Amino acid sequence: MRLFDNPVLTRELLTTLRSPRAFVLQMLYIAALGAIVYFAWPAESEGLRQVSPSVARGLFDIFFLGQFFLVALMAPAFAAGGISGEKERKTYELLLASPLSPGAILFGKLASALAYLVILIVSSLPLMILCYLLGGLLLSEIIRAYLVLILAAGTFGLLSTACSSFFRRTSSALVVSYLVILPLAVMCVVLTRTDAPSVREFVSIAVLPPWCLAAWVVLAILVNRRLLHPPDVGSEGKDVIDEEEEMKYAIGVVIDRDLFPDKLFAPAKRTDLMPDGANPVLDKELRSEIFSQGTLMLRVVIQVSMLLSIPLMAGLLFLRSDKAGYYVAYVLTFNMLVGPVFSSGSITQERERQTMSLLLTTLLRPVGIVAAKLIAALRVSTVLTFLLTEQIVLAYVMLGELRARLWTLMVFFLIIAVTCLATSTIGLLCSALARKTATAMVMTYLALLLLFAFPIGVERYLAGDQRFTDSQLAAFTVTSPFSAALNVPMHTTRADMAGLNAQPLKVADTVLVNVAGLRLPVWLIFLMIYPPFCLAGFGLTCLVFRFRWWRAGVQG
Amino acid sequence: MIEVVNFTKRYGDFLAVDDLSFTIGKGEIFGFIGPNGAGKSTTIRFLATLLRPTSGEGRVAGHSVTGDPMAVRRVIGFMPDDFGVYDGMKVWEFLDFFAVAYEIPRAFRKKIIGEVLELLDLTSKRDDYVSGLSKGMKQRLCLAKTLVHDPPVLILDEPASGLDPRARLEMKALLNELKQMGKTILISSHILSELADFCTSIGVIERGKLLAAGSIGEIQQRIRAYRVLKVRVLGEDTTRAKEVMSNDPSVRQIESFDHTVTAEFVGRDQDMARLLERLIQSGISVQSFAEEPLSLEEVFMMITQGVVG
Ligand SMILES: Nc1ncnc2c1ncn2[C@@H]1O[C@H](COP(=O)(O)OP(=O)(O)OP(=O)(O)O)[C@@H](O)[C@H]1O
Ligand SMILES: [Mg+2]
Repeated sequence: MRLFDNPVLTRELLTTLRSPRAFVLQMLYIAALGAIVYFAWPAESEGLRQVSPSVARGLFDIFFLGQFFLVALMAPAFAAGGISGEKERKTYELLLASPLSPGAILFGKLASALAYLVILIVSSLPLMILCYLLGGLLLSEIIRAYLVLILAAGTFGLLSTACSSFFRRTSSALVVSYLVILPLAVMCVVLTRTDAPSVREFVSIAVLPPWCLAAWVVLAILVNRRLLHPPDVGSEGKDVIDEEEEMKYAIGVVIDRDLFPDKLFAPAKRTDLMPDGANPVLDKELRSEIFSQGTLMLRVVIQVSMLLSIPLMAGLLFLRSDKAGYYVAYVLTFNMLVGPVFSSGSITQERERQTMSLLLTTLLRPVGIVAAKLIAALRVSTVLTFLLTEQIVLAYVMLGELRARLWTLMVFFLIIAVTCLATSTIGLLCSALARKTATAMVMTYLALLLLFAFPIGVERYLAGDQRFTDSQLAAFTVTSPFSAALNVPMHTTRADMAGLNAQPLKVADTVLVNVAGLRLPVWLIFLMIYPPFCLAGFGLTCLVFRFRWWRAGVQG
Repeated sequence: MIEVVNFTKRYGDFLAVDDLSFTIGKGEIFGFIGPNGAGKSTTIRFLATLLRPTSGEGRVAGHSVTGDPMAVRRVIGFMPDDFGVYDGMKVWEFLDFFAVAYEIPRAFRKKIIGEVLELLDLTSKRDDYVSGLSKGMKQRLCLAKTLVHDPPVLILDEPASGLDPRARLEMKALLNELKQMGKTILISSHILSELADFCTSIGVIERGKLLAAGSIGEIQQRIRAYRVLKVRVLGEDTTRAKEVMSNDPSVRQIESFDHTVTAEFVGRDQDMARLLERLIQSGISVQSFAEEPLSLEEVFMMITQGVVG
């Protein structure tokens, strides 16, 4: 196997690393890390001896966690397009027909995807050493942290590359990668950061490496096999998918357009002409295109999410019903992950498949096209997301203490619905802005993280700080549905499980935020800001959609 | 019917189309020819309302391409050079999709879809998935799509690429049929023999510049000044004939093969007669002395070489 004299690797590295963007990004990354260190650096006046170690530990934690999640987020972003991208660009067959061995292709794809990430990680090392000089850290801890980071990068990258070789579309590969990687990442963080040092050491030295290596070998063999005897070449790797045929061989969940609840997101295929006045784009999206890539991705998504929801339901709804907000947060995470899949590809795919010029020379107007795309995406993602809420309904029916606060169920549902709207709208906007689906998806995820997760992180980080009141901190998080869900007031003491009649319960205090003289809870502000925001996003999408092709000319 | 006035398109610094102007009358079939990268597709996309010009104006059936794109879309049927199809759609669904997009009432749709399928010989593929069609069939399907709303103007960018010889002939017949129906057609291609028979006029474009435009007769007129002369002689006279000819001021680039001498001739008709006289006076047995008829292909080659201005 040719390793470094590898044309795949060389080409990819040339195109990614040669760009000035890569360099600028690295500069920014180091600058951001440097800024954190600079501001957290203990001042002379503070008793250096006492403060430094805790500062060093804090920085170490931020660095490790930050980089770990960076790896978890970016490894799929870089790697999931590796092989499926070749399929989309119709170069897959060329590549496979070349004398390159599958191993070389896999290595080239993986190494090129991870090279940049590894460069980023390694370039943070000097700053880490600086923190080490503050004291309070063990060298072994730092080495361990970097070992975990590199292992994670390899495993996540390989997982994503494997998904990439199994799916035809980068978007499918990306979402399945995230869905598999996020639980793994959370588990890994929990295990390597427990307070018991011996467990920590044991896990990161004795457990993780062998398991990762085993996973690498298995995945590499699988991908190798698939590249050697590719089942998905011919007509550029996308043969016609016959749903019925596919269902016969499906494992686990099957999707049946004629049955509830599947028909909610997948109406039956047409057998006759469309009625007059139908929006053809909407009809096409829902009836023909939703499964055009096969149902594999959807089935995987549904199965994994259902599987995860069972322990969560037990823990967060039935054992500790006051934690219902956290279950809602899980549902929201699911939507955050899955929502963009259906929206962020909807405009870019027309470009990629070169159907845009056909569509644009018809009498359809941009607003009609964009609206149809939004409705179709929203419908699928909302139905899939609400499939996970039946557990909540069940809990509200069965648990007296929840039943007593039925209005919170309504609030939860509203939060979930508004989140669905937000993820779809943002996805669509990114789809209009980007040229490729994979780019649009990554853009969408970044935007969602910035709006949904980042404020919570900052709030948690600043929580102890005396300079800010709770209300000010809460005001910072109004863009996050997680914050909204966790701020819905639940009772704090548990009801008596035996008697379903709820006893008077103590309700947690709600943090209120000042808005123009009114004091409103976070969830209410969240529910109020997103609808107009989404409307504006929709308008912007139409504008971008109109002007983009008009300015540059439609390709294909 | 179609009018392009001073159309210019720049991509950054690159001048893709430079100050292009031509008109196509009603019922004409205009063959747009030029080598790869000449700017054909760019011009065609502009006319199909898909591209904003750097400067210039276009009109289709009296509607401004930039000012009233919707009206233009209503009257044109556009087939791009490179296009994709939707996945998970059957042939009839695909056509129904575009029929609805062109606002054709349901009552007419069934009939129209049947007709265009019949016209393009796709009836047997009615219930196949479009993504499973072969390239040539997709090509035909796309042409079917451009016909669903019965547009008076057809703008076709290399409709015959990817078709087998038989399908090419059928495509030609189809275009002739459309010509009979009085449609105005703008068709681009680089395979000239394809266009020669039925085009009423052609435009030749290279590197963004229109080198020649007009009816086929007109263009051939312009090439009059430049022709190929073929002289066949008997016996061992070839070298002597070459000698005599090379002394003539109107003759360029002489080649000989076997008993034939081929030369480029740039003089007038009288000069040609004088050359023949001189050959015979020199005692050369001229078996034949003739001007080679130019094929469209050669016209194209000459024009694009810059031989004819
Ligand atoms: N979006 C674009 N950006 C930059 N350059 C472009 C773009 N589209 C076309 N060009 C350039 O403009 C020139 C004309 O392209 P065009 O597609 O019109 O050629 P063409 O005559 O259709 O060629 P072909 O016969 O190969 O289809 C080419 O040199 C091409 O590189
Ligand atoms: Mg072209």
